[in-house]
Amino acid sequence: MGKDGLEITLNIVKMLVIFLVMVQLVPVLVWLERRVSAFMQNRFGPNRVGPLGLIQLLADAVKFLFKEPFFPEKGMAVMYYGAPIMALIPGALALAAIPLGTPFHLEEADWNLFGFIPLGHHPAYDFILQGYDFGVGIVIVLGVSSLGAYSLLMAGWGSSNKYSLLGALRASAQMVSYELALGLSLVGILMVFNTFSFYDIVAQQNPANPLTFNFLGTVHTMPWWIPNWGIFYNPLGALIFFCASFAETNRLPFDLPEAEGELVAGFHTEYGGFALLMFYIGEYGHMMVASALMATFYFGGYTIPYVSNEAVATFVSNTHHFLGAFDLSIHSNWAAFVTSLCFFVSMLVKILFFLLIFIWVRWTLPRFRYDQLMDLGWKTMLPWALFNTCLTAVWLAISHKPV
Amino acid sequence: MLSSQDFLFYFLGALSLIFGLGVVLYRNPIYSALCLVITMISVAGIFATLDAWFIAGVQLIVYAGAVTVLFVMVLMLFDLKHEMKTFSKGVIGNGVKLASSGVLLGMFSTYIWATYATEPTFKPMAAGATSSIKATKDLATSLFTSYLFAFEVIGLLLLVIAVGAVTLSRITGGTHHHAD
Repeated sequence: MGKDGLEITLNIVKMLVIFLVMVQLVPVLVWLERRVSAFMQNRFGPNRVGPLGLIQLLADAVKFLFKEPFFPEKGMAVMYYGAPIMALIPGALALAAIPLGTPFHLEEADWNLFGFIPLGHHPAYDFILQGYDFGVGIVIVLGVSSLGAYSLLMAGWGSSNKYSLLGALRASAQMVSYELALGLSLVGILMVFNTFSFYDIVAQQNPANPLTFNFLGTVHTMPWWIPNWGIFYNPLGALIFFCASFAETNRLPFDLPEAEGELVAGFHTEYGGFALLMFYIGEYGHMMVASALMATFYFGGYTIPYVSNEAVATFVSNTHHFLGAFDLSIHSNWAAFVTSLCFFVSMLVKILFFLLIFIWVRWTLPRFRYDQLMDLGWKTMLPWALFNTCLTAVWLAISHKPV
Repeated sequence: MLSSQDFLFYFLGALSLIFGLGVVLYRNPIYSALCLVITMISVAGIFATLDAWFIAGVQLIVYAGAVTVLFVMVLMLFDLKHEMKTFSKGVIGNGVKLASSGVLLGMFSTYIWATYATEPTFKPMAAGATSSIKATKDLATSLFTSYLFAFEVIGLLLLVIAVGAVTLSRITGGTHHHAD
């Protein structure tokens, strides 16, 4: 929780902010999804309400809120109402564990709210741009996001509907199967970076260092225009992780749990209005987690491509005088804060890029058949992920990198 | 006043006890399984308060995320009316259950009482002495050096269980045989 009152308060506020960011990104993503799908299918999409149809989000939210709440006659109330809430928790908790920028150091100071409400004296404090840091980041993220299956199972069982139940069973079988491939595909990159901590992983992808391969004692340095990203160290793992994350988020081409043609709407057949929207928020939250993990492990995390972390800090501390002009005593605080903000923007751009790819793939590929899905998970991706692990181990052994 | 560590310990301990009772006391197997999930999560939380973040994460991944999902899935997949009848009825059966759980409870409480008598104070780890990364490395090292034999034997045991489950699923007849 935290050492003292201030830390506990800060952590609670951070969790709330991250949760709200997750929820607030969803309307934007829904709009993006509808516009992109329309673009890909030669349609217009929502373009009437507001500029570019942006106010459509507000109209959708109002529509969802004012729909009639419905409860199936033979449903189980606890599970039926608990499922949408349960859908939000894993996404938010997992997203909170991923660092979105460098931590910034706050100097010892008397803290004021808006400059005049005193908050008391506080010693120096390292503010991290994430909900919590446990050091073993990825284990916690995988653990928390694996709880997402319960929301679907509760929804399916609580609705007392055969379609819902079948959708939920498909969902849980799919999530358990692909979790294996997802976890194993990450083992390779964890061995390369030799750490669990997100900060260490991102620090090793610092653009200040060129991409180097250590082979039989000789160091091969790649040209400067290839970024020092994890994907170049472990391309097979990146590919498997990318595919498995689609299955984990129940997105097309793996959206068997809600296959409309077969199961009406799958596990959320009996849901409407805001409860349905909460399932969507959960799904988009999982997508954000998958995108953030993809960016952190394979695409340099919050670093800015071709600009070393040190250069960013130097640039900001040289050019931010207009910010520090308000109060010179907190000069260094401002510089650190703006530096973190630069990294945060870089991370956000990367996350949004991968979210766009999620949407792109959804409207490009058709759905798998269920047996094809299971075959792909167990007979193709799991062996390849194992192979990738062994290959990385052998590679690290012959390239003399400390394991 | 309770520190945040103490508060978390008592809160998570109470949660795991209450939902652990729920696992046993609910008639509906689905509710039992979901109570088991919450018990697993609170045990993971207790590991986390002891700074064993890796074990907490693995507890979430393996038990809460995979094993209990399979429990719930299997419970939903099968028609359990027949099993519920055979399982929940009979004075002798209930007596045996009560007696065996009493014996188990007695063993546990004796063990706890005995250890508590010899070591009256709990020894908490020095705060911040080990980072979670180092703790994870220590765990891996001891698992693959000092306890390698036990680790492999347990792995073999799991394999035997898997083979046994496959064999059991192919047996026809017996107490759980359906007439259809």
